[in-house]
Amino acid sequence: MIELKNIFKIYETNSIEKVTALKDINLSFNEGELIVLKGASGSGKSTILSLIASLSKPTTGEVIVDKKKISKLPDNFASIYRRDNIGFIFQKYNLITTLTVQENILLPLIPLNLNISLAQKKLERVMKMFQIEHKKDSLVKNLSGGEQQRVAIARANVNNPKIIIADEPTANLDKKLSLSFIEIIKKLKSENKTIIIATHDPLFFNLDIVDREITISDGTAIL
Amino acid sequence: MILTPEVLTIIIVNIIFIIFTLIAFIISIKISFQWNRDATTQLQYTLEKQSFLTATIIKYIFIIKIPLFLFFIFTLDKISFILPGAMCGAGVVDATAYGSPLFILKILNLYIFSYWLFLHNEDIKYENQPYTKLKFTLFNIASLLFITELIVEIMMFNAIDTTKIVDCCGTIYSSSATFYISDFFHIGNPILLAIFYSNFLFMISFYLLKKASLFAISNILFIITSIITLIVFFGTYIYEQPFHHCPFCFLQSDYYYIGYFLYTMLFIGTIFGIATGFIPSSNEIKERRYKISLTFNSFYLLSVSLYPILFYILNRVWL
Repeated sequence: MIELKNIFKIYETNSIEKVTALKDINLSFNEGELIVLKGASGSGKSTILSLIASLSKPTTGEVIVDKKKISKLPDNFASIYRRDNIGFIFQKYNLITTLTVQENILLPLIPLNLNISLAQKKLERVMKMFQIEHKKDSLVKNLSGGEQQRVAIARANVNNPKIIIADEPTANLDKKLSLSFIEIIKKLKSENKTIIIATHDPLFFNLDIVDREITISDGTAIL
Repeated sequence: MILTPEVLTIIIVNIIFIIFTLIAFIISIKISFQWNRDATTQLQYTLEKQSFLTATIIKYIFIIKIPLFLFFIFTLDKISFILPGAMCGAGVVDATAYGSPLFILKILNLYIFSYWLFLHNEDIKYENQPYTKLKFTLFNIASLLFITELIVEIMMFNAIDTTKIVDCCGTIYSSSATFYISDFFHIGNPILLAIFYSNFLFMISFYLLKKASLFAISNILFIITSIITLIVFFGTYIYEQPFHHCPFCFLQSDYYYIGYFLYTMLFIGTIFGIATGFIPSSNEIKERRYKISLTFNSFYLLSVSLYPILFYILNRVWL
């Protein structure tokens, strides 16, 4: 379903300084798989996620999702691909703190121009699923870390994407909240979603729900 | 060099655009020769990124250049007040050897810039950007024409001598003038009008038969026949003077700036009409272009036709 072929990613900070983030990465992920990308900070995990989400393009090589070469998509089409296929959970949640819970969750639906009743139905489904219904009118800035994360997960799922990408999702959570996040991931996996998590949190290692663990070290994948 | 605020505006805006065009031209040359949509190399990814930014810059330059043409005509008209003998923009165009070539070049560029925008619009509709190479090759030609336009424009404004007496439009656009348009005065109004109206009928027929290429060709002929008949026949009814044939005077306030309306109708109608035949597109878009073209061309045709008809109704005589 997701293939990364001969991927190199080089960041040019200026004309002299170049950082090679990924070196000849060849990976494939099947539909419904839960994959953990582990490795130290700066190893290239987040770069892989951003390539799969079409947030950036490789320097060479190609990313293929459902037989579509998404690394070759022009920016306007890449946005549509992200909107329709990807749910991204960021380490710092990236919520708009001055908006309410339901306003944050509804944001990805705005470009779809859905009718209000359908949008409402989608909103209620994810709020119920991630148990934040009771906070729907609260401003995000007034929520706890765990609640904010549940809003972020609900927002990532409101459009029912096939692929869920999470970048260091438990980095800001204590153990109890991290375990509750794992429960949420179990729920998402049961819906046959492809889930890719980049983390160096040992809680995710050797979990029974994880199909594969891939170590990323210095821009290369150790399978 | 003549330096009125309008001339300065045109030159400064064009110089700014030329700087961006030159940058875009360098990238465009690379894209024209090295673009390979299927490649996953560093070069191709770089070109894809650059093509998006470059095309956006070009798009806005061309979008502004199109109405700037009307401002150029307005400027010619304004300058005519300080040229002895000139009554309108025609005198300014005729004042130097560069005037007529510049005017023709500007009209040509107007169409080329419009087609680039049509092509760009089509290209970005598809994931595989099928017209990118063609689009940038066309831009290479357009940028050379644009640079030529700026050079000729500066030469023209530089060559205008405000102390020299120039011909007025009455001399330039008359049957006895040496100007190339004078040959058309000898053809006779009935023949010219028959060509003009029958060309329009052909245009409608080609639309009904969905013959896009022939429709485009009939639009090219429509530009030519429209301008000739406007000078030779319809203009005299706009001025209500049998020997006044100028294609510039009706851009002035005395004639309620009707010229801007007529030329805008004609250019929009023919730009869309020619695009129908030569710019690849879906049937839906093609149908829309047909309709826009026919609507604006019809507006033009009805507007110019109304002048002699109203004149006859009011005066019971033809000019």
